[in-house]
Amino acid sequence: MLGFVVGEALRDLRRAGRVAVSAVVLITLSLVALGVFWVLSFNLGRAVAEWRDRVRIIVYLKREPSPAEVPALMQRVRALPDVAGARYVAKAEALASLKRVLGKDAGVADQLPSNPLPASIEVTPTAAGATPDGAGALIQRLAALPEADEVAGGAEWVERLSHWQRLLATIGLGIGATLALAAILTVTTSTTLVLHARRHETEIMRLVGAPEAAIRLPLLLQGLVQGLLGALLALLALAVGHHLAAPWLEPLMSLTIGVPRLEFLTPPGMVTLLAAGAGLGAFGGWLARGRRGLA
Amino acid sequence: MIELHRVSKVYEVGPVKVPALTDVSFHLGKGEFVVLTGPSGAGKTSLLRLLYREELPTEGDIEVLGQPVTELSRAKVQTLRRSIGVVFQDAKLLPGRTVYENIAFVLRVTGTARREITARAFDALRAVGLSSRAQAYPAQLSLGEAQRAALARAIVRQQPLLIADEPTGNLDDAMAAEVLAIIKDIWTSGTTVILATHQARLARTLRRRTLMLEAGRLVKDEG
Ligand SMILES: Nc1ncnc2c1ncn2[C@@H]1O[C@H](COP(=O)(O)OP(=O)(O)OP(=O)(O)O)[C@@H](O)[C@H]1O
Ligand SMILES: [Mg+2]
Repeated sequence: MLGFVVGEALRDLRRAGRVAVSAVVLITLSLVALGVFWVLSFNLGRAVAEWRDRVRIIVYLKREPSPAEVPALMQRVRALPDVAGARYVAKAEALASLKRVLGKDAGVADQLPSNPLPASIEVTPTAAGATPDGAGALIQRLAALPEADEVAGGAEWVERLSHWQRLLATIGLGIGATLALAAILTVTTSTTLVLHARRHETEIMRLVGAPEAAIRLPLLLQGLVQGLLGALLALLALAVGHHLAAPWLEPLMSLTIGVPRLEFLTPPGMVTLLAAGAGLGAFGGWLARGRRGLA
Repeated sequence: MIELHRVSKVYEVGPVKVPALTDVSFHLGKGEFVVLTGPSGAGKTSLLRLLYREELPTEGDIEVLGQPVTELSRAKVQTLRRSIGVVFQDAKLLPGRTVYENIAFVLRVTGTARREITARAFDALRAVGLSSRAQAYPAQLSLGEAQRAALARAIVRQQPLLIADEPTGNLDDAMAAEVLAIIKDIWTSGTTVILATHQARLARTLRRRTLMLEAGRLVKDEG
């Protein structure tokens, strides 16, 4: 019986001919659109996550506290809400890291009469403190410390990145959904053609007592095959596109958003794409079922 | 085996009501051979279609093979139909498939194991003397051959009940006699047979129990 169902489904695909091909192409297009935006938004998402982790707020101090004062000051800072961690940077340490940055030009710093760099506290906010609002509030709290001279840092631009990511995901979903709708309707049309082409077979099957499953499953299956085929083609197109685009995009990404690699879909992502294709196709096949007197 | 109790059938074609059967009752036992006769339009096909529930009666109760036909779920209807072999008045051979494929098709869609299909299909073809035409398409068959192909398809699952609607439809006397002989063989091997024909003379030559319909009423039950 399984052999029969699969054989009939393939026969049905041949019968639907060009319309089935259109359905497959439309499914491919809709999934490629979804996939492209998905990949882009996924990579932007990684950048956002990475930058969220890297959000730091620097509190420059009016004067360098004595070593005895540091622990009490740090304790007060760590006790503030939304502070995940804090590190004290003494004037000497600040100068040392400046010299490290300057490298072979470090001699310039040696010529300074005194160390011009202030002591500071490097604050790592919690996740809540890394949002624009959270960071704003935290900056105010830190600025209110009597020792604070100036507070630098913020999270607005990370949020702007995350906004772009959401926008991209929404556009992708919109285009994908529109094309998916067209794909479903095309599968429905091709299935309706199949129903018409096999109406004599269906009649005989009903009259000789074939189980409902044998009558309906091939229809569902041929839709599913169209969907799966479309999804496979989409996956292939996406992989080829990624392979070609990555060498161009990666230097750009590394410069702008600080993420050096354009990641492709993860294996669960690929499975999801295939399942989405199969689902689209089966749904289209199922929609056609009621239309022409199968019942 | 078959029991009809006060069965009526009225077709509704738009606002027009076409009475096809009126108050028909009879009983048919296991292993019987009954001939259903009557002029064209008397309601023979309508009656047969009620038996395998292609149509529902407007009134009355029908029992076939112990099943209350009018009350069956869709799945149960399919199960019942698997126990009934039908030769349709319009043959209904699939034009795109060969004689062999037409017969194998029935076995495949009703779940016969793949390795049994060929042997069983050819058994049926041999029973109607058509093995040599197995690879022909329906359009390449003579009328008599097509009728026998339809008969082979109806008996291939060796169902306990055979319903044959004008199986000798447009055949000449010799050919008709041949087809009837085949059906008699099938009956002899234990199948219950109900055969419809509008050819009164043919019905008489069979010398079996005869139900006669006239304008949808059962007017005679004898033999
Ligand atoms: N599907 C249908 N819709 C409407 N009327 C129908 C339908 N089928 C049959 N009829 C009508 O019911 C009556 C009985 O038809 P039926 O086909 O049962 O007669 P029959 O005895 O089989 O005739 P024949 O010997 O010509 O095959 C006829 O008047 C016919 O026009
Ligand atoms: Mg008739």
